Amino acid sequence: MTNGASKALLWSAGLALVAALGTYPLYANGYYLAIGISILYFTILATAWAMFSGPTRYISLATVAFFGLGAYTAAVLGEAWPWPVVLLAAAALGALVAAITGLSTLRLSGIYFVIFSFGLAEFIRQLVIWYEVNVHKSVGRYLFSAVTQDIIYWQLLGLTILVFAAGWLLGRSRYGLALRAIGADETAASHSGINATRIKLAVFMLSAVFMSVTGAVMAPRWTYIDPSIAFNPMISFQVVIMALLGGAGSLFGPVLGVIPLVLLFEVLTATLPNHFSILLGATFVLIVMALPRGVIGLVDIRRRSAVTATRGAAPVRDGSGPLLAVDGVSKSFGGLCAVDQVSFDVARGQIVGIIGPNGSGKTTLLNMLSGALRPSSGTIRLGDTAINGLRPYQIARLGLARTFQLVRVLGDLTAAENVATAILFSSAPTASEPAAETIRQLLDLVGLSPIHDALAGELTYIDQKRLELARALAPKPRLVLLDEWLAGLNPSELETGIALIEKLRERGTTIIMVEHVMDAIRALCSHCIVMNAGSVIARGTPDEVLSDPKVVTAYLGGADA
Amino acid sequence: MLLFDIVLPGLVLGGMYALIALGLTLQYGVARVMNLSYGESLVAAAFGAVSLYGGLGLSPLVALLLAVPLAAVLNWLLYRLLLERLMRRGKDSGAQEIDSILVTFGVLFVIQGIMLVAFGGQYYSYSYLSIPIVVLGSTLAVNRLIALTFVAVIGVAVYLALTRTRIGTAVRAIAVDANAARLVGIDVSALSGLAFACGGGLVAAGGVLVSMFLTFNASMGVIFTMKALVVVIMGGVGNVLGALFAGLMLGVVETAVARLVDPGLTLAATYALFLGVLLIRPTGLFGRAPS
Amino acid sequence: MLLANRRTLLRIASVVALVLALGTLATAADAQDKIRIGYAISKTGPYAGGASITTLPNYQLWVKDVNAAGGIKLGDKRLPVEVVEYDDRSSSEEAVKAIERLANQDKVDFIFAPWGTGLNLAVGPTLNRLGYPHLAVTSVTDKAPELAKRWSNATFWLGTSAQISEALAELLGKLKSEGKIGGTIAMVSVADQFGIELSAAGREAFKKAGFTLVYDKTYPLGSQDIQPLLKDAMATNPDAFIAFSYPPDTIALTEQAQLLKFNPKIFYVGVGTAFPLYKGKFAANSDGVMGIGGWNADSSALKDYLARHKAATGQEPDRWASPITYASLQVLQQAIERVGKIDRAAIAAEIRSGTFDTIIGKVKLKDGLLQEVWCVGQWQNGEFYGLAPTSMAGAHAPVVPKPQWQ
Repeated sequence: MTNGASKALLWSAGLALVAALGTYPLYANGYYLAIGISILYFTILATAWAMFSGPTRYISLATVAFFGLGAYTAAVLGEAWPWPVVLLAAAALGALVAAITGLSTLRLSGIYFVIFSFGLAEFIRQLVIWYEVNVHKSVGRYLFSAVTQDIIYWQLLGLTILVFAAGWLLGRSRYGLALRAIGADETAASHSGINATRIKLAVFMLSAVFMSVTGAVMAPRWTYIDPSIAFNPMISFQVVIMALLGGAGSLFGPVLGVIPLVLLFEVLTATLPNHFSILLGATFVLIVMALPRGVIGLVDIRRRSAVTATRGAAPVRDGSGPLLAVDGVSKSFGGLCAVDQVSFDVARGQIVGIIGPNGSGKTTLLNMLSGALRPSSGTIRLGDTAINGLRPYQIARLGLARTFQLVRVLGDLTAAENVATAILFSSAPTASEPAAETIRQLLDLVGLSPIHDALAGELTYIDQKRLELARALAPKPRLVLLDEWLAGLNPSELETGIALIEKLRERGTTIIMVEHVMDAIRALCSHCIVMNAGSVIARGTPDEVLSDPKVVTAYLGGADA
Repeated sequence: MLLFDIVLPGLVLGGMYALIALGLTLQYGVARVMNLSYGESLVAAAFGAVSLYGGLGLSPLVALLLAVPLAAVLNWLLYRLLLERLMRRGKDSGAQEIDSILVTFGVLFVIQGIMLVAFGGQYYSYSYLSIPIVVLGSTLAVNRLIALTFVAVIGVAVYLALTRTRIGTAVRAIAVDANAARLVGIDVSALSGLAFACGGGLVAAGGVLVSMFLTFNASMGVIFTMKALVVVIMGGVGNVLGALFAGLMLGVVETAVARLVDPGLTLAATYALFLGVLLIRPTGLFGRAPS
Repeated sequence: MLLANRRTLLRIASVVALVLALGTLATAADAQDKIRIGYAISKTGPYAGGASITTLPNYQLWVKDVNAAGGIKLGDKRLPVEVVEYDDRSSSEEAVKAIERLANQDKVDFIFAPWGTGLNLAVGPTLNRLGYPHLAVTSVTDKAPELAKRWSNATFWLGTSAQISEALAELLGKLKSEGKIGGTIAMVSVADQFGIELSAAGREAFKKAGFTLVYDKTYPLGSQDIQPLLKDAMATNPDAFIAFSYPPDTIALTEQAQLLKFNPKIFYVGVGTAFPLYKGKFAANSDGVMGIGGWNADSSALKDYLARHKAATGQEPDRWASPITYASLQVLQQAIERVGKIDRAAIAAEIRSGTFDTIIGKVKLKDGLLQEVWCVGQWQNGEFYGLAPTSMAGAHAPVVPKPQWQ
């Protein structure tokens, strides 16, 4: 079959499916229509859930909180206001509550977030009850409406199309990439210029809006809405399980989990009502045990996403005065003073080395420069801007990039995508050159071109380091911080690594390197700072500082000097 | 005095919450299994106590001696046959948690289904040692006091076992980092199974004891699971004393709100407290940040 | 590779499930040689407690009794009753779906109602649209008259919440005027629609009867400790303690009251007092306790019903909605027999307008509501006698004050 013919076949099959779905109420009897409604509303909930929880891995059990709020909105306003306005009100309420509660993701992760989201749904339910009892003086709301199953079905079908459209657009945009980066490694993502908080919040709100509107659409079906009916926790669990089973990492994954499970529930309910629970549970256990890579293996993050954004990197800015001015910077953790009154300047084009024994505060200093930590006192200026106290993504966008002591690549993204995140988010919008071109050049530079499509998590150690460097260079930063970038390399890799940094020096990149490999320091740095126990104990050229008796004592201890 | 009249019953109520959560501290905190069927085990033990009391006139305190070892064995089997495979193949702790959530969700339905077939959906309740005793001017029920005493004694015993014995230290090592524990020669799967089994024994004890004063039916498992989870998370995962403290605190807060503010806000207040604790201390009151 | 396998597996699973569903769910219509009755009842979930005491046993008992007598008379034949039974899992969505399944797939002749106000309201519009008679027995709501007007096929059998509070207030008022109790009432109610309606109506009715509410609080559904509430209520030293509670709290309140030696002259707890579980747990201590419901325990029809219920289902009925549930089914049978064919509209109309003989006596609905419903009952010598409305046949005199807890 020719390509054209098979494409035509695919299109006509698709159209037939759409027509069948759209006209379903016209030929399905009441029962099959009810099943259709079940499948649709779970599809919307599961897809909306996966939109946020899939890439970010924040497993949320708050689905029913938003669903219930939407149902309640419909119950309260449904008989008074025109229906489209009611739906908008439900959407707005969902977004508002999601905005407030989404901020919790700043503080919580993992199982804590899961239980927090569950507690949240229950807390909202209790608040609604209290309000109903004490203010409204009546707990249940009656919603009599002339709406039929057909109309509910069509509303849900519309919502389903919308949720898929939203998911598709999100996936193709740079925000989809950012979400996956956040899910892979939030620290690395924010150091690549991604404002993780804002993106998480926005997507959480988007998913909540779909959930609350679905609740509003379903409410008239039940006539009587009270808090136990609207905020039934089983819905949250069912949605999570359907989405995880079908695959929370891809857009059409959840629906693949919804359909078999809804039908399974139906078949079991209809044929063996007395043993429904036992059989359902047994089937569940079998499914989970049988999946060879476990259910999380089904969270399919790998996607062929074309990096289509065309924003390039801003050119390096010119100016006078030192590029980086660190003045009297200190950092204390409780009683421990990790960095004590450190001051130094870095001129443009310089490579400055920071050396010192372990525990001298070098990485803490770097963390303050990149924004991962806030200085207890002192100022840091990058060019004209004071950057102490700014968040990592803001500092990244001002032109400061870094690598990490324990290499942090975005494991579930390809090498090209790793570099792309930095380009799309760290740089000011100028169309100096297309992003794809920049990516290719950088991967060439670090020697990763042949494997640009490999998953970063599967690369070798040295390749991951190269990738980190490429990602750091992608937004054409003014200053690059290398945190023990040469650590753990064998002699030939070390040669390659030093050569790479030299190439950077030739390009005029300003670099601060924290290192223990003295050969590299001697070869590359024009200026050195030695730290010990939080303070700077020596400065000068590498030869000067390395022969300074104070430095030798610091490294080797007093008796052996 | 009103203060005593709030604090003492509050501690007794909190003791019940801590008792309910004690087993989960071991199962989740140590064996790293998010056991959603936890509440079902509790209700099953309660049904066991009811049957023994109604059928043979056996005191629940005696039934404890039967229920705890039986539950420990059943839970150990559950771990060996189902959960161990999942723990082994999970790539990281996140994967293990999700897998254990899903599998135990299935187990929840199985246990609940068996109870429904055996006992039906109706409420069960019996009275045992429902005798008043006046402590510091406050009237308390003897059966609830027994529950409080039990959880205090067992909680401290578990804490001591975890901190003062070799096996206990090995178990705590597993909770911190299972891979590193393996590297120092700890048999992770055997000890995890042991911890899970002990957790199962504890939840059965909890079920038998609370059956003395609570009304329950086969569908109430989820309520208990959620309560236990809130206590465990609030106290800090893996921290036995933390869970004890969190449970007691929840009980006192609930009682205080009921007497001083408005009985209608008790549950809202406990959830608000839970959410507040997590926002201020994201890993629970005494939990440590994940390594 | 694994990905492709998993996707394929799920697709195959979906198709298989679909085929199975279509296969098992479609059934052929039979010629009329039996009467098919379907219902979805809460066998699991939070409503299972109530449904398994009040509703399901009576559905099963009625079917047994009817088939033992040869079936329902339709024209000149006696047709046996066949049952299709589902579990609605205490979910409104499942309940609605089940009605559709029963009507469209199983094509049953009649559908029995689910348990509870929420589920009956959920299925109300669908049953109305499909035209099935809707015997909403376990649905107590102040909106019942309005619902009966809206759905001409629906009938309500436990009255309204306001009726219950008013009957209680009337009874207490009488006792007050006889000097048997003073004028103070402590009232607590569960924060659920039923509790709210009862307490709202109670507030008005008690005031009108000349009582003072010295304590008036609500508590959340699912509270596990009632003691603080009770202690505060006790401190106000009321003549009557009224709790509009649900079964778990009803039991907890009674137990705590015993512990605290709280002996008001009137001790009234809500739903669950009328359950055999209550008498079973508290034995002699249950005597003197008042609650929602009641029945004419001396009636021979009801004594016979009690024995049959126990024999057929292994448990006793409750003393409130159980006999009414059974009676409503008797009404259905007689209506079917009077109409003589499966004409659901005519049968629904007959239920509304006819007079019927049942175990609770003669039944004639007014505007779709049963008028004579016991609102207040009291355990006396091991049986839960109806006290109010005092005008009903068999109303016992209340035992006041309640004997001290032992």
